[in-house]
Amino acid sequence: MEIKVGITSEHIVADTLPKLLLRNRENWGDRVAFRQKDLGIWQEWTWEDVYNEAKYFGLGLVNLGLKRGETVAIIGENEPENFLSHYAAQGAGAKVVCLYPDVTPSEALYLWDNSESVFIVCEDQEQVDKALEVKDQLPRVKKIIYWDPRGMWKYTAPTLMRFSEVQELGRKYDAEHPGVFEENIAKGKPGDIAVLSYTSGTTGARPKGVIMSHGGLLDSACRVEQRVIMKPFLQYLSYISPAWATEQMFGLTMGLHMPFILNFPEEPETVLENIREVGAEMLVFSPRQWESLSSTVQAKMLDGNFIQRSMYKQAMAIGTKVAKGRLEGRPASIVARVIYPLIYLLVLRPLRDKLGLLKTISPIGGGSAMAPEIFYFFHAMGVKLRNMYGMTEIGLLTVHSGEHYSLETVGHFMQVAPAFGAPLEWRVEESGELLVRGGWSFDGYYRNAEATDERIKGDWFCTGDALALREDGEMVYLERVGDMRQLSTGVRFPPQFIEIRLRFSPFIKDVISLGDETKPFVSALINIDSETVGRWVEKRGIAYSTFPDLSQREQVRDLIKGEIDKVNQSLPSESRVLRFANLPKELDPDEAELTRTRKLRRSFLEERFGGLIDSIYKGKETFPTEVPVKYRDGRTGKVKTDVGITNTEAGKEATKW
Amino acid sequence: MKVRRREKLSYRLAGAAVAPGVEHSVILKAVDISLSFGRIKAVDGASLEARGGEILAIIGPNGAGKTSLLNCINGFYKPQQGHVYFQGKDISRLPPHKRAELGLGRTFQGLQVYEGMSVLDTIMSGRHIHMKLNPAEAFFYWPWVHKEELEHRPVVEEIIDFLEIEHIRKRPIGMLSYGLRKRVDLARALALEPKILLLDEPMAGMNLEEKEDLARFILDVHEGMGTPVIIVEHDMEVVMDIAHKIVVIDWGQVIAEGTPAEIRVNQKVIEAYLG
Repeated sequence: MEIKVGITSEHIVADTLPKLLLRNRENWGDRVAFRQKDLGIWQEWTWEDVYNEAKYFGLGLVNLGLKRGETVAIIGENEPENFLSHYAAQGAGAKVVCLYPDVTPSEALYLWDNSESVFIVCEDQEQVDKALEVKDQLPRVKKIIYWDPRGMWKYTAPTLMRFSEVQELGRKYDAEHPGVFEENIAKGKPGDIAVLSYTSGTTGARPKGVIMSHGGLLDSACRVEQRVIMKPFLQYLSYISPAWATEQMFGLTMGLHMPFILNFPEEPETVLENIREVGAEMLVFSPRQWESLSSTVQAKMLDGNFIQRSMYKQAMAIGTKVAKGRLEGRPASIVARVIYPLIYLLVLRPLRDKLGLLKTISPIGGGSAMAPEIFYFFHAMGVKLRNMYGMTEIGLLTVHSGEHYSLETVGHFMQVAPAFGAPLEWRVEESGELLVRGGWSFDGYYRNAEATDERIKGDWFCTGDALALREDGEMVYLERVGDMRQLSTGVRFPPQFIEIRLRFSPFIKDVISLGDETKPFVSALINIDSETVGRWVEKRGIAYSTFPDLSQREQVRDLIKGEIDKVNQSLPSESRVLRFANLPKELDPDEAELTRTRKLRRSFLEERFGGLIDSIYKGKETFPTEVPVKYRDGRTGKVKTDVGITNTEAGKEATKW
Repeated sequence: MKVRRREKLSYRLAGAAVAPGVEHSVILKAVDISLSFGRIKAVDGASLEARGGEILAIIGPNGAGKTSLLNCINGFYKPQQGHVYFQGKDISRLPPHKRAELGLGRTFQGLQVYEGMSVLDTIMSGRHIHMKLNPAEAFFYWPWVHKEELEHRPVVEEIIDFLEIEHIRKRPIGMLSYGLRKRVDLARALALEPKILLLDEPMAGMNLEEKEDLARFILDVHEGMGTPVIIVEHDMEVVMDIAHKIVVIDWGQVIAEGTPAEIRVNQKVIEAYLG
């Protein structure tokens, strides 16, 4: 891999995203830009097509009254129209706010209102219904636009308009006012706001809108380009939502900057097949998505016969050894290295092929820390997964680069092209918090100067993350500073580490680790994976009815206990998990227990399961719970169960309660 | 400019066919149908009319003769008395497959699907009445057989898109959940491009979420493709939500007929259901 150190300003060909779109159309008008499977066949859009579609949509919006600096909201899955709406709005000098397709109407209302959106571009009926529900509380909204007409046949609201109708308006407008779109592009400046990306709300109650300017996005793109293997026109699979800043930096910014061939999955459910069909070369997934990719293999292996299972196990063991050797820079034993090519050909390559990762050169994980086991799983089959660390506020900061890197870390700091500002500098506070300055720097929170000021200390930006610098220059991500916790005995422990390690078990879907200044030891609440545990239980001929019943079965509790015991072995004895309980219901973002990126809402959970947590620390064996559940259709109900509390092996020896 | 393939689909344009307030003509009429098994009268002089652009529901308590009446309409049973007219033509003497060719598509109460076949092939099998080749040609799979399959594939893909079953396109039916199998069954009936769709207790054995999903799809078929639907259903609530007109049957006889609002307050219906 070639690392271009000290990228120069000449390398930066345009200072806003729409200017890049214009360049792509001029340079590569006949080359493929988008691909999406439609009615079973992959359809292609060239840069010429993309430019024209975005242009007419953008002009349509202008015709309908969109002004520079206003906000266009987008809500829907990753489809060409979603990206086109981004290009169109930014081309007209407006900014974009993109929402996760599964937000509730009340969440959406807050985001649309806070971002001062004037247009809402929806994918389909589902999203249009949300917009119509709260429309009366959004006086600024001029039109609600949808691109999938399915199910919309009987909607007559005057604020509704089809995507193609807006484009038709734009086409007429273009005939009367030629050159307006291009003029608007030329007016763009790097300091203009491109996107408002809302924080997921793990840290506070209400999400804050992070301002992402064109310059900031391009800065991140150029930082990554120096460190990660990329080439123009590589096959990129767009799967993570543009509502997450990471996809804004990759699919939307780098997609224009490199450019990529952007592939959109047919449906979210078909993404695994689609990865394979497009031969994706670059994938950016959240750790959860990498985890679920690896657990599909593990779950399928449970169904395999003895021979298949043992072949898989052996191959993985050897693959992991070789990968470990390669990463740590001290080769594995001769025997392992000699057998590896054979094992790769017989087992690992076919497995890699099945997952669709045969052509993948740049697989990236980002968002939060990932279990080393996931890394080894992919590295064993030659998929060189890399960790990346960054923040919506100040862009991407570190990445695994080169051939040798430690899986425990998030890699080295990246470099900033001089055009975007001073070189990146960082220091770690006594509290463990990482401070950063340099690069494009922080643009602030939208209409929230108070929150912006909290983040700035002199000219440093406070990340709120605890990181440690290792001797070899790689950064280790520990926890959010606020999340490192101390027990009443004074021992500090890493709750996330425990959770991530436990979550790698195929039987555990989510974990909440407990322990603070009022509690003498660490314990855990487990959300079991009903699918794999269900199959495990069925194989043993044990009948169960519902999720609460399954979670409280004695055999299941024993199974989970075994998984926790394994993780306990790698923890210092003071911070081991002593007791745990299986939750009687699945955690659900619809009930505000998880954020949309499936991060835990800790304080909310600790309140909801307060009684159960008390019982754990009072040494009780069971606790009767009654958990309110909100169904998809809006009704509410309650689940009543006696939750059993189990001691782990470490917990049996200790008697602290 | 690039046009999405799905923009061109036939059903996307058909929505206008069900504009509210338009009076539609009768498309299917059953007159004075009687059917007995030995001394048991399953259907006793029942008549009904289905109009284009409406969802007609046949409801009634268990054993009232709903399915028997539906089977008389599509020809699985031969009623001893009465006539069935489809688009003005008397089809009482036609066997079921001839009626299917005329445009009567149906799904079954139980699951009548081939377990080992893929979803794609199952839906393709619904296209057989539109195919010109005979089984012997198909068996040898001559190049022109392949060509014909390709011609029909877009229609099948259109239906797959419509019922949102892309992710199971290539799975064998036997591996699917009950709710999904029912959806494939509906897909196969749609592949026939029916002029009227007969659904026999499509919601039986489903949980609430599956029922709501299927109700949505039935409405979409009706609104999007403009296909009139006759639905036999035991579950009153679902029917009240989606049907335009309801025919209530008890002991083989039509005891009431009207809009859902009228049926809800009809004394005879309340008695039949409660007691």
